[in-house]
Amino acid sequence: MRMSLARRAGALSLALASGVTLVGFGSGALAGTSAASTAKASSGSGTITFALPPTVTPDYIFPFMTAQYLTNVNLYQFQQIMYRPLYWFGQGNSPTFNATLSMANAPVFSNGGKTVTITMKNYKWADGKPVTARDVIFWMNIVKAEKSVYPLYVPGEYPDNIVKMAAPSPTKVVFTLDKAYSSTWFLYNELSQITPLPQQAWDKESATGAVGNYDESPAGAAAVYKFLAQQSATPATYATNPLWKVVDGPFELKSFQTTGYSVFVPNPKYSGPVKAKYSQLIEQPFTTDSAEFSSLRAGTLDYGYIPTQDTSQIPLLKSQGYTSSPWIGWSINYFPMNYNNPKVGPIFKQLYFRQSVQYMVDQPTDVKKALFGYGYPTYGPVPIEPKNSLSTAQEASNPYPFNPKKSASLLKSHGWNVKPGGTTTCAKAGTGASDCGAGITKGEALSFNLQYASGQTYITQEMQQLKSNLAQVGVQLNLTSAPFNTVIANAAPCKVGPSCTWQMENWGQGWSYGPDYYPTGESIFATGSGINEGSYSNTVNDANINATHTVSGTKVLDTYENYLASQLPDVWQPNPDFQVSEIRNTLKGVVQSPLLNFTPEYWTTSK
Amino acid sequence: MAVDAEQILGEATVPSSPLVRPPRKRGAAVLSVFAENKLALAGLVIIVLVVLFCFLGPVFYSTNQVSSNLAISGLAPSASHPLGTDNVGYDELGRLMAGGQSSIEIGFAAAAIASVLGVLWGAVSGYFGGIVDTVMMRIVDAFLALPVLFVLLLMAAIVKVNAFNLTLVVALFSWLVPARLIRGETLSLRTREYIQAVRGMGGGAGRSIFLHVIPNAIGTIVVNITFQVADAILVLATLGYLGFGIPPPAANWGSMLSQGVTYLYSGYWWLIYPVGGLIILTVMAFNLVGDALRDAFDVRLQRR
Repeated sequence: MRMSLARRAGALSLALASGVTLVGFGSGALAGTSAASTAKASSGSGTITFALPPTVTPDYIFPFMTAQYLTNVNLYQFQQIMYRPLYWFGQGNSPTFNATLSMANAPVFSNGGKTVTITMKNYKWADGKPVTARDVIFWMNIVKAEKSVYPLYVPGEYPDNIVKMAAPSPTKVVFTLDKAYSSTWFLYNELSQITPLPQQAWDKESATGAVGNYDESPAGAAAVYKFLAQQSATPATYATNPLWKVVDGPFELKSFQTTGYSVFVPNPKYSGPVKAKYSQLIEQPFTTDSAEFSSLRAGTLDYGYIPTQDTSQIPLLKSQGYTSSPWIGWSINYFPMNYNNPKVGPIFKQLYFRQSVQYMVDQPTDVKKALFGYGYPTYGPVPIEPKNSLSTAQEASNPYPFNPKKSASLLKSHGWNVKPGGTTTCAKAGTGASDCGAGITKGEALSFNLQYASGQTYITQEMQQLKSNLAQVGVQLNLTSAPFNTVIANAAPCKVGPSCTWQMENWGQGWSYGPDYYPTGESIFATGSGINEGSYSNTVNDANINATHTVSGTKVLDTYENYLASQLPDVWQPNPDFQVSEIRNTLKGVVQSPLLNFTPEYWTTSK
Repeated sequence: MAVDAEQILGEATVPSSPLVRPPRKRGAAVLSVFAENKLALAGLVIIVLVVLFCFLGPVFYSTNQVSSNLAISGLAPSASHPLGTDNVGYDELGRLMAGGQSSIEIGFAAAAIASVLGVLWGAVSGYFGGIVDTVMMRIVDAFLALPVLFVLLLMAAIVKVNAFNLTLVVALFSWLVPARLIRGETLSLRTREYIQAVRGMGGGAGRSIFLHVIPNAIGTIVVNITFQVADAILVLATLGYLGFGIPPPAANWGSMLSQGVTYLYSGYWWLIYPVGGLIILTVMAFNLVGDALRDAFDVRLQRR
């Protein structure tokens, strides 16, 4: 998921709630449920105002999102407040399966791992109807019918790998798989994608049409999807459209402005373990981090963040009644290059070129000076923070440290006429070892367009620095900025052709693993996956990824990540903390999960 | 020719008397009144100093204003960086010079374009009068009714921001005031005898406007140009402050100030006060000079 939230913590534990150790993290921290149990009882009144990230606003309410809407804000801070996923992950600071908050019991694998049985718990929709197996099948039918636009779709994997599904009773779902998979991977990365939808209210093809079982045929499911997607495309109606009132999460939407300003009230029918004990949750959008900080200083926010360039003001905020708490996400940061751009794609496909660019990214300096230490480098596909044993020693070190000489040398040795401060051009076209490479013509210049997200100072600083650094080897970056949502929308995978025009897009926070919580990377680096923005394709990498799905142990993961770290599918860049949170002292029960999902029903306020 | 005619008429109306000071040459009179205004002289000195600082400064104090260096960002003033460094490591003193160059260049260019367009528009409108005047002035009124900042921001967002486009965008809304001023002048000038004489002798409208109307409105035009430059610099600073300045590595004062404000709470005062002071000083200086020129071109003051 693009963008993330997390919390600086000690060691994490990534163990299944059942107690089965998944991987070798340290011990876990405070669980969401225990946080709630220790929270002070409130009077049931009060408003909590939460600050959204700058320029990132909720703009899609239907839980089935296409790639352009797949943001952390849409998923975690907007939709999941109202529509809870089948399985919940994150216990306190640990990115682990959370049985308590899940809407079904832990899946049972049988038949040699080829059959999965899911038993629903006793949750209810806001219209009083139970959340049933049929609601899970409803979601599945839509995903299967619309997998071409499903952003997490990976050919051959979810939902293709579920070859048969049935609901033998209202509380039981049975999936038959095409082969046996690692049960951990299947739970963390496949079943994690399911969100039950209210079939009894949403299975219709038009606003005036009757509810039926249209989803049971692919054409009907497509029509239902089309209708729901259309409804979701008009944000102005989010708070008034009766469709979106049928929620199973702890909150329902009371009002919504197209600026992203959202007011939630507790869902009185919520049947989860803890109900919200305050009257309103407000999500406040901002266009810049400075504007958010001004609001924080003015005391209008209960839960905000301090821009890294203003962290010297933490003591001041402390004196105003705030507690500072960095939130580290289970994420990596990169920006994609479009391999299918007909003009510059052939250049991006050259490993030596990507290495040359990566040598010019000075991550330690970026972390120190642009992020003021509130971040860490990205050297590969597995997060190195929070501390864990999934990232290898190779990834924790920097395979491509800042080195202009090596960068220039790589270009020269591959037929480029390097002009520091000018524009480097291809002098030796061809496919030989010392030539520029396939599809690159003589005289072609290393000049690229890079659009980055506006509103956050550190992104601007890093991009300006990258431009200056690359100019040292004659690579010209033409920088422009745009709001986050625009950058995300532009960075869509496209097929080679005249309309596939974007070259580099940087929304600033890469990918936080979720709902693919186990960092095997199929969603973002496998050939043809829906959010492999740049259309990176590498058969060795695909094979490595596939191995992590069926073979137990972390050795296959090590192989995958070490290979991909060296292959540079995108440009690795420093990963900022999701935010340096500032939480009003009267707000209790906040747990900043590294998976970025949050549970505001546990919060209490004594303001 | 018109000036001569005016001088003839002027001489005819001024009685020759030992008590009456003989008329001075127009330029000398203007300079004399201007020189009496100490604030104006101070403004002129400031403008000269700012121009020298921006355009000659880099000759004596050379800095790299093309490549940023994050490793030395946010340094406080020191011997190696007298005004510190900004948030991407540019030397702030050198940045002020570079930013000043673009601000002054674009300011002057926008003022020149706006003045030429405004003078021509106003002169034609005033000279012909009637339906031509009505239509042309309603167009001016329509433009004046638009919320300028909103439209400027819209245009800056639509067009690719570079020095040339920014000059045109600023000029687009700056010609309206001179157009109205010159139109008013022209309405008065066109009734003068020497204009009537030109018409009577078969002179065309172009001849009247370019050789008689505009030269006789030169005072108004010059005064207006100084205000136009000041306004253009201010508009540029506003656009830059709002994020629509020339993109890096090019510098402009507005963007620098905006960037400095981002670090207000970090105590990076050197990113705020010097550039803020320069903007205020420059705009004030142009306004002082403009005020003094207005006085200097005032015939009544010349005859004191």
